[in-house]
Amino acid sequence: MISSQNKSKKTKSHLKEGPHICPICCILPPHMIDHIIKHGDEKMRTWVMETMRRSEQFRGRREVIGNLALAPSTGQKRRTVYDARKGERLPGRLVRSEGGRKSRDVAVNEAYDGSGATYDLFHEVFERNSIDDRGLRLDSTVHYGVQYDNAFWNGNQMVYGDGDGRLFNRFTIAIDVIGHELTHGVVQYEAGLVYEGESGALNESFADVFGSLVKQRSLNQTADQADWLIGGGLLASGVNGVALRSLKAPGTAYDDPMLGRDPQPALYSNRYTGPQDGGGVHINSGIPNHAFYLAAMEVGGFAWEKIGKIWYITLRDVLRSTATFKGAADATISVAGDIYGQSGNEQTAVRKAWEAVGVI
Amino acid sequence: MKIEGKAMQVTVKRTGGFTGIPLTKTVDSATLPQQEAILLHQMMAAADFFKLPSTIPFTPQPDRFQYQITVEQEGKQHGVMFGETAVPASLKPLLNWLMAQPAQPIND
Repeated sequence: MISSQNKSKKTKSHLKEGPHICPICCILPPHMIDHIIKHGDEKMRTWVMETMRRSEQFRGRREVIGNLALAPSTGQKRRTVYDARKGERLPGRLVRSEGGRKSRDVAVNEAYDGSGATYDLFHEVFERNSIDDRGLRLDSTVHYGVQYDNAFWNGNQMVYGDGDGRLFNRFTIAIDVIGHELTHGVVQYEAGLVYEGESGALNESFADVFGSLVKQRSLNQTADQADWLIGGGLLASGVNGVALRSLKAPGTAYDDPMLGRDPQPALYSNRYTGPQDGGGVHINSGIPNHAFYLAAMEVGGFAWEKIGKIWYITLRDVLRSTATFKGAADATISVAGDIYGQSGNEQTAVRKAWEAVGVI
Repeated sequence: MKIEGKAMQVTVKRTGGFTGIPLTKTVDSATLPQQEAILLHQMMAAADFFKLPSTIPFTPQPDRFQYQITVEQEGKQHGVMFGETAVPASLKPLLNWLMAQPAQPIND
């Protein structure tokens, strides 16, 4: 049911500029990688696939090798959780795997449950076979670093810090943070949005949107019942704020002497144009975030069903790595028309939303 | 370069990360306890700070931190920017020490 009428998958550019993260991929030329995948034994293939998965080259090569059957594609949820024990070596010690017993460590269970809820949203609603659409195992590492105030997707797995306890609690505490990090993985395998400027803010926004949808679906909430917050519960007690970001009201999530004030704009005319944060990827994401919120509220019901689907198909099939806000607006409007009809309620809601935030 | 003994102000600004909330810490060697001031001067010298490039190239990754360390000494100023995934080994002790300093409230 998710198959879109919009079949014209555009050719995308995969070649990343700048240095690669993965030294093995620099040593192995692409033709050799292809050869090993096509002709190597199971062990070799697994090794090469793992190597490629570690680099963003994987996305490009995946299209080169076409629909060759690869490694495990079971269509089954496979989760593992590791404990870095305050170190920075990844992945750390294995503490829980799929079907394993509940841990006494709350962060372990949150990482396990949150990655499961994210897998379920993408699988059950969007018919996606895990993050790479090929059954990738979901690896998470908790207790990374000392008082580490961050969570990230490193191209291969999720990583969560414990927070410093004074400003931030542990980063697994909010299920939308987990959904956010995993969605960075989906973006990496699909549009590959360059993490800088408007494409970077779109990358952030897709992560927030699907992160929020994971939370909404886990609570069975309609658009008007949801809080539309990112990182609810993450701010330590004593910090003046409710969350890190709000899709409903960008710029209102916190206002605190230590953290400053939520800098997110909702309007394109108020966008940040300075050099910090990769050109404000965590700031300007407020604009497309709010557009999604407005469209979802206009259509009503469960936000993942229609507007979520439009955003997902756009990410999967249409956007290029250097997409702009305007490009994303045009693409979502076009996809809305393809799926639900031209000038239908859905397409009108999407168009009006982008107009309201001043992108079109 | 001899930099021991002369007072310096050092600022580290961390941006990015999942929270997107910037964090700034500033120290003035003149107001530090003597042992700490000596340590700071030693770390600066070990990093050969004033000879480092203003940007150390790194590949942007979602939700990772970026750091900017700026030093002012006798009217001379130098800043170095780098990513969490590519912290130069010579700067690690200085960065860790700066990040362990108390944070100041944000003045908008």
